[in-house]
Amino acid sequence: MSANSSPTATTPEATTLETEVLIIGGGVTGAGIMRDLALRGIHSLLIDKRDLCAGASGGNHGLLHSGARYVSTDPDAATECRRENSLLKRLAPQCIETAGGLFVAVEGDDPEFAERFPALCQRAGIECEELSPGEARRLEPVLSEKLFKAYRVPDATIDPFHLAMLNVDHARLLNGSIYRPHTEVLGFEIAAGEIRAAICHDHLHQRQLTIRARQFVNAGGAWAMNIARLAACADVHLLYAKGTILVSNDRLAQRVINRLRPPGDGDILVPAGTVSLLGTTSTRVEDLEQVAPTAEEIDRNIREGAVMIPALAGARYIRAFSRVRPLLQTSGTTDRAATRGFALLDHASQGVSNFCTITGGKLTTFRLMAARTADLVARRLGNDQACVTATVPLPDDEASSWADPAAAPKRWHHDRDPDDMILCECEMVPQSAIEQVFANSPGIEKERTIDLIALRTRAGKGPCQGSFCGIRIGSYLYDQGYYRDATGLAHLRDFLDERFKGQRSVIWGPQAAQMELAEALHCGLLGLDTLKDE
Amino acid sequence: MAESAIASINFKAAALELLPEGANFEACLTCGLCSSGCPASGMENMDPRKFIRMALLGMDEELSTTPWIWCCTMCKRCQYVCPMSIDVSQLVFLARGNWPEDRKPAGIVRSCQLATSSDSTSAMGMPPADFVSVVEEVLEEVRATQPDFRHLQAPIDRRGAHFFVNQNSREPMNEPEEMVPLWKIFDVVGADWTYASKGWAAENFCMFSGNEDAWREVVRKRVDAVNQLGCEVWLNTECGHSYYSMWQGIERFGLEANFRLESIVTYYAQWIREGKLPVNSRWNTKGIKFTVQDPCMIVRKAYGDSIAEDMRFVVRTLVGEENFVDMQPNRSANYCCGGGGGFLQAGMTEHRRAYGKRKFDQIAATGAAYVLTPCHNCHSQMHDIGRFYGGHYGVVHLWTLICLSLGILGKNERIYLGPELRG
Repeated sequence: MSANSSPTATTPEATTLETEVLIIGGGVTGAGIMRDLALRGIHSLLIDKRDLCAGASGGNHGLLHSGARYVSTDPDAATECRRENSLLKRLAPQCIETAGGLFVAVEGDDPEFAERFPALCQRAGIECEELSPGEARRLEPVLSEKLFKAYRVPDATIDPFHLAMLNVDHARLLNGSIYRPHTEVLGFEIAAGEIRAAICHDHLHQRQLTIRARQFVNAGGAWAMNIARLAACADVHLLYAKGTILVSNDRLAQRVINRLRPPGDGDILVPAGTVSLLGTTSTRVEDLEQVAPTAEEIDRNIREGAVMIPALAGARYIRAFSRVRPLLQTSGTTDRAATRGFALLDHASQGVSNFCTITGGKLTTFRLMAARTADLVARRLGNDQACVTATVPLPDDEASSWADPAAAPKRWHHDRDPDDMILCECEMVPQSAIEQVFANSPGIEKERTIDLIALRTRAGKGPCQGSFCGIRIGSYLYDQGYYRDATGLAHLRDFLDERFKGQRSVIWGPQAAQMELAEALHCGLLGLDTLKDE
Repeated sequence: MAESAIASINFKAAALELLPEGANFEACLTCGLCSSGCPASGMENMDPRKFIRMALLGMDEELSTTPWIWCCTMCKRCQYVCPMSIDVSQLVFLARGNWPEDRKPAGIVRSCQLATSSDSTSAMGMPPADFVSVVEEVLEEVRATQPDFRHLQAPIDRRGAHFFVNQNSREPMNEPEEMVPLWKIFDVVGADWTYASKGWAAENFCMFSGNEDAWREVVRKRVDAVNQLGCEVWLNTECGHSYYSMWQGIERFGLEANFRLESIVTYYAQWIREGKLPVNSRWNTKGIKFTVQDPCMIVRKAYGDSIAEDMRFVVRTLVGEENFVDMQPNRSANYCCGGGGGFLQAGMTEHRRAYGKRKFDQIAATGAAYVLTPCHNCHSQMHDIGRFYGGHYGVVHLWTLICLSLGILGKNERIYLGPELRG
């Protein structure tokens, strides 16, 4: 990596940082903006109060929509999805599995809607091929016998973590743009209609941080309205819809399977490497911070999903998660019908001239959202370089691929190095993965933690949900001297707490046995439940 | 000649089909008890847990081709300790059968071919006529040289005998005098028994090679032989996998067997309890220490702990309570010695000995001078690793010690005894 060009940030120890553009929010959009700007030669600093994809970016199906999902409710969003889908398949194939998708109608679903579907797809330019029920069931034997209509569409899956990491990495390599996790905006210094600096709290070092920039971008996702208000901008209106998704122990279907009906609960099953994701529910919420799956949401997803795929009723689930989606507020519509489009607000009417907010939208259209935002920011900076993210492929990067489901076991098996001990047995993440991740995360030398690894590899995401790998990775970090005091234990506890949050709503059957074992290890053996905070 | 390709098995689907609900790969808690107790862990960078995970992760090609399946002896200890009772061995068996014959370890394949090539079902290819003449010759010699046994019997093809007695080929082929102690025991208890010229052999390497058709063929010949002679009990002598392959073969292939399957070990115990075998430990004046090896095939994989208890009763009676030292762990939790699953014939000497190190350490820790075991593969493997790792123990069959205790062990029937017991 070469340190680069014009206004670069000062050393990490300084309490004031400088950059051209401060991007707030480390979701895929923020990461995409960072790369887009870097490709135009603009230096940026990306911050997140937690870490990459901590919000809706990391809490969705990982579905790269063909657009077919929205043909009835939001034709514009459908068309956008169709374009971005084919662009990303070409430009970021390393994050994508071209699994293909099926839309299936089962007894009780509206036959008229099913009949209209191909025409709706055609209008949005989306390929749609009808399959006989028999053919569909041959492709996906888990499908219900009560299937009466099936179409094939070019849905795919995309790994948001891998995607965000590659965007950040590319920006860093291009011009030394910097990503800082655990940095939260508390307020802005505004003078003469311009934001001068963002006042932040650095959660890692427990200190205040001032970040000076010429342009400020709010890519806060569900938090965008709150962040805009810190700059006295009252023109962001969001609704919050909580969605809950279940993760099965193994991959139940090869393709994305969508229920052929207007969007509803539990109507999509998406493969993610070695597991399947079932969801989602949609519930209006007010609170952004306290979102956890409820038993009722789990039941609803499984009940609905099992109509389409009966095996879902008896499948083993290892985890569930909930995130809040920001929906752009429009009057008189339901949340399901609310636009899945995005909004870019320049806040010119709010008395600040160097601040903008990008929110709404969806994972599939993140590149487009980043492009529109970067266009505005570049124009304001007097940079006339055009967006090139529609043509420049996303470079590959070995360290980031540890986030990819099923990549780790293949690499481990290929390398066949008995000295490279496996730390996470479920997902087969070896020691070398950890060292690669550290090497690829400059600026966090003091924070080589379990959480950092868990986010950037598959560790903790298998059936044991961190029971064993948490201890092994923790031990490894102690062995290597990254941890020297009780901090590692506290981190281990926090990591396991987080995994437990995901498990508590799906504890039955074999997963209940798994939890008993986890409790014996974590409380009985390590006494993490009695650990005192320093 | 180019090697044949190994087709890919869908292991996840196969496990779903073969294993019961609740004990499927799906139920794995990834706790690793299987791996920590598996002597084949680490070989070829594999272990049982990795096998399960790789299956669930869809690594079918890697699993289909890993040579580890020939290091796993299918001893089922992993299943025994698994809190969810997941059986990896069935999938290993499937993978073995999936290898083209020319890629499988040649020694196992050859032993299977020999077994199917004659009516003897002998893995060493000994034809019926040769077996009959060896038995007759040895019998004649005993009658001539050991006056107490001048009327000793070794009947062959005697219809209606109670016991149909099988025989591991190793004795008639390589050390025929080792057959004699068993005949003497039958003589002492007055057993109504017979050998058969057909289907007499014990070994079944076809099972180890994963060749179901050949496994069935071998078992079918044996079942036919017992049915034809109208015997009530097929008595498995001191050979482990012969019992398991026959018992499982009959179940698996739905063969009609008009007889019971029994192990000689339970009869040793019964005859001692009944006073028919008046053995004791008074001969062991020097306090020689003994341990036992529980053969996986008859203990963990078949009878369970009951036969392990019978064996201990027999051995304690033979050597004296104070001279018996158990290995740890033992009974159903015992480690496979590394001679099972065809490992001895697989030509993977380095792997096999590495596997056997755990057994060697277990034996060494007992400090015993002898290991007793009613299994030929255990016998050969423990003998080999004992020498390889510089151990000083001997390995003997139970029949040797029984005859020793009864004072009827012939001079040339002591090849596995040390100088202090050669007499």
